[in-house]
Amino acid sequence: MNKKTLDIRPLLLLFLLNALGIVVLIINKNEASQDLAVLSSIMCVVSIIAYVIIAKLKLGDPYLFIIVSMLSSVGIIMVSQLNSEAGKKQLIWYIVGVAAFFGALWVYRVLNKRLKKLTLIYYMGAVVLFTATLLFGTRIHGAKNWLFGVQPSEFIRIIYVMCLASVFFEPKSKGKKKLSKSAKWKKLFVSAFIAGTCALFLLLQKELGTLLVFGVVYLVYLYVYGDSKPFLVLNILAVVGAALFAVTVFSHVQERVIGWRDPLGTYENEGYQISLALMAVASGGFGGRGIGNSLPGNLYALESDSIFVVICEELGLMGGFAVLMLYFVLVYRGFKIALSTTNPFNKAVSVGLSVAIGIQTFIIVGGITNLIPLTGITLPFISAGGSSMVSTFMIVGMLQAISSMKGETSDELE
Amino acid sequence: MAEQLLSKVLTFFFVLIIYLFIFVIIRMIYMDIRIMYKKKTGNMADAYLKLINLRRNLDFYVDESYEISDSEIIGRGKKCDIRIADSYLSAKNSRIFKHSGKFYIEDLDSTNGTYLNGEPLGDMAVELLDGDKISLGRSNFLFVLPKSTSDSKRNK
Repeated sequence: MNKKTLDIRPLLLLFLLNALGIVVLIINKNEASQDLAVLSSIMCVVSIIAYVIIAKLKLGDPYLFIIVSMLSSVGIIMVSQLNSEAGKKQLIWYIVGVAAFFGALWVYRVLNKRLKKLTLIYYMGAVVLFTATLLFGTRIHGAKNWLFGVQPSEFIRIIYVMCLASVFFEPKSKGKKKLSKSAKWKKLFVSAFIAGTCALFLLLQKELGTLLVFGVVYLVYLYVYGDSKPFLVLNILAVVGAALFAVTVFSHVQERVIGWRDPLGTYENEGYQISLALMAVASGGFGGRGIGNSLPGNLYALESDSIFVVICEELGLMGGFAVLMLYFVLVYRGFKIALSTTNPFNKAVSVGLSVAIGIQTFIIVGGITNLIPLTGITLPFISAGGSSMVSTFMIVGMLQAISSMKGETSDELE
Repeated sequence: MAEQLLSKVLTFFFVLIIYLFIFVIIRMIYMDIRIMYKKKTGNMADAYLKLINLRRNLDFYVDESYEISDSEIIGRGKKCDIRIADSYLSAKNSRIFKHSGKFYIEDLDSTNGTYLNGEPLGDMAVELLDGDKISLGRSNFLFVLPKSTSDSKRNK
């Protein structure tokens, strides 16, 4: 009794946006505009196929994929006009990302019953990946987080959420309503241990942005599932204490805070990046300078971490808000899936994944507009970078899998 | 200079498309919520089934209520109109249908049977009245006929 017909309006708008983007690139005499036109038509075909597959096979939420495609399209166009080679790569990463999306969807659906028992395996996986990065990783711009061309921390993020979810979720137990005290505290300490180890590794790698994401995800889990106010307050105090400690001891943290408090006063040194970013955003004004007309100067990590500055300068305040609203709708769908699913483990996973995407956006957008101290992290789906694209697509694939399992038997029967 | 202006104008449309997209998506979500809300309150249909069990005691997913229009097949299978993933249900468990203004329920040779007010259904279809209790597998439903339909029936 499927009365719903396939709504293609969002797809049409997606094509229109891509076409317009290519026209702008041609006007700006982008040297790779022909290649980009070919690639982006392939991308459109891929997105039609994926959209239809999701609708026809009833794979749950129809909005997630199309929102993510929109964000990626905006990202690809913004990246291509800065650096056409990076833009081409980004288009290819989008296609790989869609494959990863369906891969994650399928694997999650098939393994769903086993995934919740693998706490130890997740933990070991995260530790092994972290250790490998520390031993064999290459240091790029201060943070040692590259392993053979991929950024493992992007993928550890997924494992970390699964690990915490498998600790925190409460299986439906009939009769016994409340967990015994010792079980509750065991749960809290195990989770604190997991979060602590990951935080330590990230601190050693100097990946402050990812560290912040991991920390917030942990606190959200404590808030939602912890069931213990004193422990939550203790943890918040511990995080604040650790942050103050880091500011006084580690020089690279100190730089960020100095740059945040007075970017223009420290223009020559610590505040350089933020000052440039603020000036670029301001010069964009309300309507923007137009795609391809930005004068970003020496802003560092232009196509990846600082892409939001370019968006604000070229698309203006309106464009910046539009992109943020897309993220808003995406995260809203994530929470909606978490609310409507009945399987407790899937609920826990979807809460963690949605928070991870949302907080990551907040950290980089807030950082670059000087709301919070700037820490380097990618803007999901828009920043140039394969690891970020593929891993975030996997996250959305998992959310899609969870939403597609809503009507099926939850696995508490066995 | 002209190029810059052109790119500025196109950029304006670029941003406009993003906003249109957001508008379309939010509208689609809004329509979805409205349909779900109507389902919940049961305003649309002639009759509906209301779940009596507490949902959290069931380990499968059931809606709070299901609309009944002309003919609904209830079961676990993919071809059912009302699909409930309860392992105690047969692939096609029972059927509720409307015949000359009255609603009837029949059992479709299910393994665990269909119960109307606690009694198992035989081979014959039985008429449903407002407030009847229907048990299928592990879930219990209340059959609700909105006021207007049941009143007119009584007048006859």
